[in-house]
Amino acid sequence: MKPRYKWEPWLFSAPALIVYVFIVVIPVVWSLGYSLFDWNGITSMKFVGLNNYARMFHDQTLGTTILNNLLFMAIGTVFQVFSGLIMAIILSNITRGSNIMRVIYFIPCIVSSMAICKIFEKLLSVQPEGVVVAVMKLFGMQPVALLSEPRWALLVVTLIDGYKFCGLYMVIFYSAFMSISNDVVEAAYIDGCTWAQQYQYIKLPMIKNIFFVVLVIVINGTLKGFDVSYILTNGGPGNASELVATYMYKTAFNSTQFGYGSALSVFLLVESCLAVGIVRTFQSRAGKKE
Amino acid sequence: MQRLTTSRVLRIVFYIILAVILVIQIYPIFWVLTSSFKTADDMAFLPPYAMPTGLFWGNFEKALFHSSLMRYFLNSVLVAVGVLAGLIVLGAPAAYAISKIRFRQSEHLLSFFLMGMMIPIFACLIPMFQIYNTMGLRNTYLSLILPQAGFGLPMCIYLYTGFMKFVPNSLMEAATMDGATNFQVFLKIIFPMAKNSTITIIIYNFVNIWNEFTYANTFMTKSNMKTLPVGLNDFVGEMGRRDWGATFAAIVLAILPTLIIYFFLNKNVMEGMAAGAVKD
Repeated sequence: MKPRYKWEPWLFSAPALIVYVFIVVIPVVWSLGYSLFDWNGITSMKFVGLNNYARMFHDQTLGTTILNNLLFMAIGTVFQVFSGLIMAIILSNITRGSNIMRVIYFIPCIVSSMAICKIFEKLLSVQPEGVVVAVMKLFGMQPVALLSEPRWALLVVTLIDGYKFCGLYMVIFYSAFMSISNDVVEAAYIDGCTWAQQYQYIKLPMIKNIFFVVLVIVINGTLKGFDVSYILTNGGPGNASELVATYMYKTAFNSTQFGYGSALSVFLLVESCLAVGIVRTFQSRAGKKE
Repeated sequence: MQRLTTSRVLRIVFYIILAVILVIQIYPIFWVLTSSFKTADDMAFLPPYAMPTGLFWGNFEKALFHSSLMRYFLNSVLVAVGVLAGLIVLGAPAAYAISKIRFRQSEHLLSFFLMGMMIPIFACLIPMFQIYNTMGLRNTYLSLILPQAGFGLPMCIYLYTGFMKFVPNSLMEAATMDGATNFQVFLKIIFPMAKNSTITIIIYNFVNIWNEFTYANTFMTKSNMKTLPVGLNDFVGEMGRRDWGATFAAIVLAILPTLIIYFFLNKNVMEGMAAGAVKD
């Protein structure tokens, strides 16, 4: 269709564009600006140039936080992608009950992280005794306060986050497997392909692109991880489960260091863009090999 | 295909794994549901994994009538309606312009919108807070509607353009011949045809809006403006000694709407959530 007059398309898109620019684009640029100032929200802003960024290099808490976040990302990615993939493989191989299983398996995805955190807080609590502790006692184990134990807190946060989201990847992988034409698999079967080989040589390579898509989602999501850590442990005990997003949030809104907080938020932006870029590079390289 | 899978041993192994994962996935939700019926005595004297002694509705009564839960519920509904209306009203025409009206910058416009999917909300949170603070928008519904509509637009436009691209032009040309304006073509032909995209967008965003935590926790400080997820937290502390029975009932009530929608539309919800996540 041709526009009636020159600015007709803009008439259609201008409202969305204006809202988008004012709500998303301008604040991002604004963040860049804030990150050059020292400011607590009340007194006047003091221009400090790149000092906030220089401060990051000496900030030991930030170091711990980044390390935590990388662990959160690595374990979370492996856990979510593998459990999603295994579930999808199993569900696409059984006929009876596959649908209802899929429906049930997806439920945690639609429950708010606040509700999930509250449930797990109680399940894991020691005083009053929660289910996990009670079961530990039944087996004669020494009860462990998983959430207040620095060694365990991050892992528990990672797993609960993974618990919430792995259903999503199951659905994505499942629909990818379902879209593979039966002809291909049948032809392979006639050529003497076994059950395991059909995955190794046909199905998994065929959904390679979906793999990268999922990887982008998981990595992007875990790098920005916030809810579970913030609600369940508030980054604690100490900094044991602090993530970059929670650290940034607390720096800005609890200690009202808006300048440094903005610098951290810029770091978060750059970090997630970089990570996605890396995955994309691998993807295009994997595509070229063929 | 069948013959490749029906090794009996393998199938038994599959069902065992499925059963184990199923229990893990469903147990927390099941547990909170049963626990919401426990009396204070049940809580104190029964082991935490035991079933309640009977159907005790007191917790629900407390959550519904002796707390602000109803108010939080209303807040959540209003915010969700606002965001969804905004998304559709803004996103659909923009997608129409991008995919159906030929103009030079349409490609650039689309990539400009899609760029937004890369931006973490945390990169905008501090300026948003300052802007809303200065404009007096904090503790108003707008402070939750605006950011969620803004950040929802890229995905919304992406899904709409993905559909509208494939609507044959001849259909629109015929309408134009009959004297329809571009706006009429959009409103009478393209938008009704895009019904499935609209449903996907509404479902995906509804689940996200209903569960949204960060904005609500940042911008809504007045207790009567809280949304359900944040209200749940507030509710726990409010009772002094945490009244877990009432908290469980509140959690059940808070997740009930999404569960009910999910019960009827589970296929759409799963597809919608997956489509929203798989943006490219």
